[in-house]
Amino acid sequence: MRRRSGTSGHMLNVDLTPMIDVVFQLIIFFMFTSQFGELRRTDIDLPKEQGEEETEKQQASMIIDLTLDGQYLFESKPMSLIEIERIAATGVASQPEGEPFDVLVRPDRNAPAVYLDRLLMRLSGVGVRRWKLATVDQEGASQ
Amino acid sequence: MTRSRSVRRRRSRLGALPLTSMIDVVFLLLVFFLVTADFAKKENKLPSALQTEGGGVQSSDMQPQIIRISVLNGQPVFTIGQVRCGDRVSLESVLAQLPREPGVAIKADPDVPIQSIATALQAARNSGFARRSYVPGESSD
Repeated sequence: MRRRSGTSGHMLNVDLTPMIDVVFQLIIFFMFTSQFGELRRTDIDLPKEQGEEETEKQQASMIIDLTLDGQYLFESKPMSLIEIERIAATGVASQPEGEPFDVLVRPDRNAPAVYLDRLLMRLSGVGVRRWKLATVDQEGASQ
Repeated sequence: MTRSRSVRRRRSRLGALPLTSMIDVVFLLLVFFLVTADFAKKENKLPSALQTEGGGVQSSDMQPQIIRISVLNGQPVFTIGQVRCGDRVSLESVLAQLPREPGVAIKADPDVPIQSIATALQAARNSGFARRSYVPGESSD
């Protein structure tokens, strides 16, 4: 009896599972790497207020965290007011004409106003005209 | 006996279902949705203009009404002119009687918690003041 040789005798089965595995792995990898900016948000006890629904989905040009003990954080790194002033000045200078340089301040709700005042004085000195105060709802839930 | 033989025969005809790959994919999907889910609390924002003493960003010639925030016996006190308010509700009722055109400026003592500034900004916003500004106090750093 002659045995069939080559591939003609076998059914070609394309197994898609490993490819799907790899594709998902790649998606997860890119999701992780692109979300790092968001994940680096410092955990701060923000003022509990309803806030305002934003009509325009404009991201803040600069986000500054302010801790209870008066430490200023930019991208989760502690910074002096001079450094923050320098970064803000560079941002204001590089902002396209007509587009405001918005600063979002994420303060600890119990921090004294003096820390906020120091920061805002520095920012206004380099030309920042608009700022936003980050808040959370009373229940801490989303709107 | 006869039943178990027929079941075995049927199984051999169908072949074993490879569950490993399916579990692989299911776990990957689970991880994917865990990663993409946003567990952080949603943050809201209170926008305000920055106004400094002696020269502001307000283009209006009219002087904005000032909400002064201080701390009295550990409690924040909001003062507009001669009127004092202890909470947001009473502050909103006072603001409701004021004209909206000049806008409102907020000033706070250095020891006032930032929560009270947010409360004043929220009250002004709820009372329909489109022009809200914060006047940082002069402080040596």
